[in-house]
Amino acid sequence: MLKKRIIISLTFLEGVLFRTKNFIPDYRYTKNFIDLWSIDELMIIDISDKKFSKDFLNLINFFSTSCFVPLSVGGGIKSLQDADLYFKNGADKILLGSGTINNPLIANEISMKYGKQSIIQALDCKKNSNNIMNYSVYSESGKNNLNIDPTTFGKTALSYGVGEILINSIDNDGSLLGFDIPLIDKVSKELDCPIIALGGAGNWSHFFELFDRTDISACCTQNIFHLTEHSIISLKKFLRNHNIKIRK
Amino acid sequence: MKLGIIDLDTGNIASLIAAIRKLDLKFKICKSQFDCEDVDQLILPGVGAFKDFMEKIKTNKVDKLLNDKLSKKMSILGICAGFQVLFDKSYEFGENKGLSYLNGEIESFKNYSKNIKIPHVGWNECKILNKNKLFEGIEDNSDFYFTHSYMLKNVNKDMILTETKYGIDFASSVKLKNIYGVQFHPEKSQINGLKLLKNFYDYC
Repeated sequence: MLKKRIIISLTFLEGVLFRTKNFIPDYRYTKNFIDLWSIDELMIIDISDKKFSKDFLNLINFFSTSCFVPLSVGGGIKSLQDADLYFKNGADKILLGSGTINNPLIANEISMKYGKQSIIQALDCKKNSNNIMNYSVYSESGKNNLNIDPTTFGKTALSYGVGEILINSIDNDGSLLGFDIPLIDKVSKELDCPIIALGGAGNWSHFFELFDRTDISACCTQNIFHLTEHSIISLKKFLRNHNIKIRK
Repeated sequence: MKLGIIDLDTGNIASLIAAIRKLDLKFKICKSQFDCEDVDQLILPGVGAFKDFMEKIKTNKVDKLLNDKLSKKMSILGICAGFQVLFDKSYEFGENKGLSYLNGEIESFKNYSKNIKIPHVGWNECKILNKNKLFEGIEDNSDFYFTHSYMLKNVNKDMILTETKYGIDFASSVKLKNIYGVQFHPEKSQINGLKLLKNFYDYC
């Protein structure tokens, strides 16, 4: 039986680990505190203005040689050459954001070279104010409404060779109120690929609710408090006790 | 003992090298026949599409190298696409011939179950069918990391080491004489994966 995956997403600004909520730097936490043995997958994202810095490439290298789980890398990919640089430094998958939204052929080029299993397309989704069940994909960190619904966007991305779709709920991100279940359930039912959910988890019950009510493949947390001490171990134990298929 | 890792420049072999280093095994990276002269075992890692991978094998004359090493009874471990090319053919992007060291065909999951998410990505269980040193010290039904859209079918049960369920049961690892192959990625499967790589080095 295929297990549900718990993915940790870490954001870095100029090589320093960031708490994503309100982008406050917190120097108490470093890359070294994370328990790399309990996670199923790791995602690292560069949010610096200047991308592809030596510092960030060194971080990719650090994680790729110390975690022994799949490593996804994102931040500023606009071309095959950008992706090459991340793969060369140890990425197993790359995360495409809005940088390639106007040119899906880039996903196709990357897919031809590395295979579709190596590409995750991230979709930043937000509820349309006029209709609660209606969502749009946004670019530029939630500033620009693309007026495309997530399923349509996802289908196009898959046709260009993307392997997985990450759904980020802009409304719920950082809220700690739980995942946007209707959004995730809808996209997961309509798309034929593994879906990763991100945004909104506050407590362990939120993860259970997500796996219980949708057929999603994985969830991603970037809340730094979920990563301290034995948090991931305790989350996994909690989910297993609630009969969710989770790797030991 | 020295392990040769075949590098066809098809993507990330950094994690495999990191795993081999973590285990402190003697290894070298082999880009051509010449690089392989002093190795005792070979790993053929592979990511990406079957057809592209076979083309790279032929362009770099790795097929000749493998023929030569297999005739000298050297052990070979194929990983992921490097596992799939060991068989007769694949139906990924049309029908493409493999190396035919082992009998079997690589088919889409979609042929067997319609309501299934492709690719098959994540940690899944390997049920041991035939005991082998490759899985020495690894519990039955342990989880390994998979990422693929096509799987092995029409294979002789005797050579299947483990079976995995995703819509249907498929062979997730095989062994015939000195040829070993795993569909999953041991280098990304933490402790179980490291153990398997060490077993290959120590016993195979």
